[in-house]
Amino acid sequence: MPILAEAFALVFQPYVLMVILASAAFGMFVGAIPGLTATMATALLVPVTFFMDPVPAIAAIVTATAMAIFAGDIPGSLLRMPGTPASAAYVEDSYRMTRSGRSEEALGACLVFSAIGGIFGTVVLVTAAPVLAEVALKFSSFEYFWLVVLGLSCAIFVSPGSVPRGMISLIIGLFAATIGIDNPAGQPRYTFGNVELLAGIQFIPAMIGLFAVSEVLRSVVSGADTPAVEAGGKKGIFTRQWANLKRYPLQTLRGSVAGTAIGALPGAGADIAAWISYAVSKKFSKEPKKFGTGHVEGLVEAGASNNGAVSGAWIPALVFGIPGDSITAIVIGVLYIKGLNPGPTIFINQPQLIYAVFIVFFLANIIMLPMGWIAIKAARTILSIPARVLMPIILMFCIVGSFAINNTPFGITLMLIFGVIGFLMEENDIPIAPAILGLVLGPMLEQNFVTSMIKADGSFLAFFERPIAAGLGLFTIAIWSIPLVIAVLRRRRPDAARAA
Amino acid sequence: MKFNDLLLGLLVLVAGVAIYVSALGFTDIPGQAYGAGTMPRAIALFAVCLGLSMIGRAVVAGARMPRLELAPWVRAPRPVVSALVAIALVVFYIAAAPAIGFVPASLVVMAVLMLTLRTRPVTAIAVSIAACVVIQQAFGRLLLVPLPRSEFLGFLW
Repeated sequence: MPILAEAFALVFQPYVLMVILASAAFGMFVGAIPGLTATMATALLVPVTFFMDPVPAIAAIVTATAMAIFAGDIPGSLLRMPGTPASAAYVEDSYRMTRSGRSEEALGACLVFSAIGGIFGTVVLVTAAPVLAEVALKFSSFEYFWLVVLGLSCAIFVSPGSVPRGMISLIIGLFAATIGIDNPAGQPRYTFGNVELLAGIQFIPAMIGLFAVSEVLRSVVSGADTPAVEAGGKKGIFTRQWANLKRYPLQTLRGSVAGTAIGALPGAGADIAAWISYAVSKKFSKEPKKFGTGHVEGLVEAGASNNGAVSGAWIPALVFGIPGDSITAIVIGVLYIKGLNPGPTIFINQPQLIYAVFIVFFLANIIMLPMGWIAIKAARTILSIPARVLMPIILMFCIVGSFAINNTPFGITLMLIFGVIGFLMEENDIPIAPAILGLVLGPMLEQNFVTSMIKADGSFLAFFERPIAAGLGLFTIAIWSIPLVIAVLRRRRPDAARAA
Repeated sequence: MKFNDLLLGLLVLVAGVAIYVSALGFTDIPGQAYGAGTMPRAIALFAVCLGLSMIGRAVVAGARMPRLELAPWVRAPRPVVSALVAIALVVFYIAAAPAIGFVPASLVVMAVLMLTLRTRPVTAIAVSIAACVVIQQAFGRLLLVPLPRSEFLGFLW
């Protein structure tokens, strides 16, 4: 108990609390700007943390990250520009809710269930960190391969429209991910001598192009003479969420558990967590047809999941010094600079600092609620601007956001190309989401597939020899085969009826 | 411009074959049967199977839908011109911003697109100037993104 009291004393100082408040505002600002990510918010904070003590330094990063992940939902919901790939999983639902005048309910659901998922993840981080980290460490390339295939399969089956068109989208994303020199043989692929393409397709400009520029183009061809969205829905940030919580308690719990567990796997962060949770939500929903049309259920589960994953990613980072995602990779560097060498010994040598970090996690997720409320209220003014004025400004944000990733105009070129591709895809009812996930997970899929094939000496049976891999593999195969079996059975039933 | 399943299937099939052929030139990891070509070949096989299945299903279903359906906006000149203007403005920004700087280039992009979308000229210019300064201050000054500078507008940075 003295350790816990010491941790509280470390956190509840005016200076630390002010740092938390300022980082919350900073994270909210960066996350809400299309093109800027939670990772970028963390990276921008690192030089500032050099001048701080360990606790405020970590508090700044934890708070800014949690805020930025939620704030990524704001442009996603209002402008169909997801701040992160994790927000992209449910952007269609949140954007359509906004279009039908339910923006505050949509953003409120993102906010409240993000906070719930984040707090759940923190509770797990506090209580079960060492146990979960041990399980995660047992994952080899076989398990990661199946996990990625599972995530990609979910993207196809959750996307609106026909499955073959979802697969076309996935092929586009996976092919785009093969571009560049980052492959097992280190040979440039499809770069056509372009030096910038050697680094591959950056997913932020591609995502801005596919989602936002395509939306701008669609608005432009439709005349852009209507308000960007319908007015209405002034209540609902918090008031509707109690009803949502009562209606979807299982979804909230499932999202929080899945998000935390997936986040704890090194390399598998909030992105995969949100997609898998959204797919699970649709699979077990009583109203699966409503998904993608402005239904809040997917937002509840995937929203809880991605913030659960943010906390979960800290489990391997703190316990073994293995980053769970790109943010914790930066954090590990900061921990080393501050003399907090992550690993099992940190719990023995400086337990008060670890408990202080845990307290900061709780504070960050609680402070998210009032800060998010202010951000949503401020962002709502965007909705009253007519589309013919708003769309050119959005296009400019897209340009600057794409430029800001690498500070080169090449990002803008990529954005434009993917914008036109996205526009043509949507004209043909090809969903965009699987392409994004293919682009994000393509390199991970390739690396784990080739590594596994080399380890297994070309034998596919090796993919089922380890128990966790076999479980994941069978689950993935079931996802693909069950719809086929159902379709065959349905076709047989009318035949049997006709024969009778 | 909407393709039916038969046409889309054909496109996917052709793309699959093209990817497979292009991947034949990629090298393997020394001493291994896998390398740079493994993933493109796997994607190509996936595409070929998908293309064939889409063509097969479309043929069985009789492909009743027209092969190419033109959206209403394609037939009207104004939406097509507006879309082309939007694309051309991004190309203009890429080409002109390094030379003339972020502020004038972005001003042109926003103002011209607003005018194309029939915003009143006064509103278009006023909003473009305001948005331009806000974006420049937020990204260029606060977040230190090195937006292209204009010599005569150096005071903004």
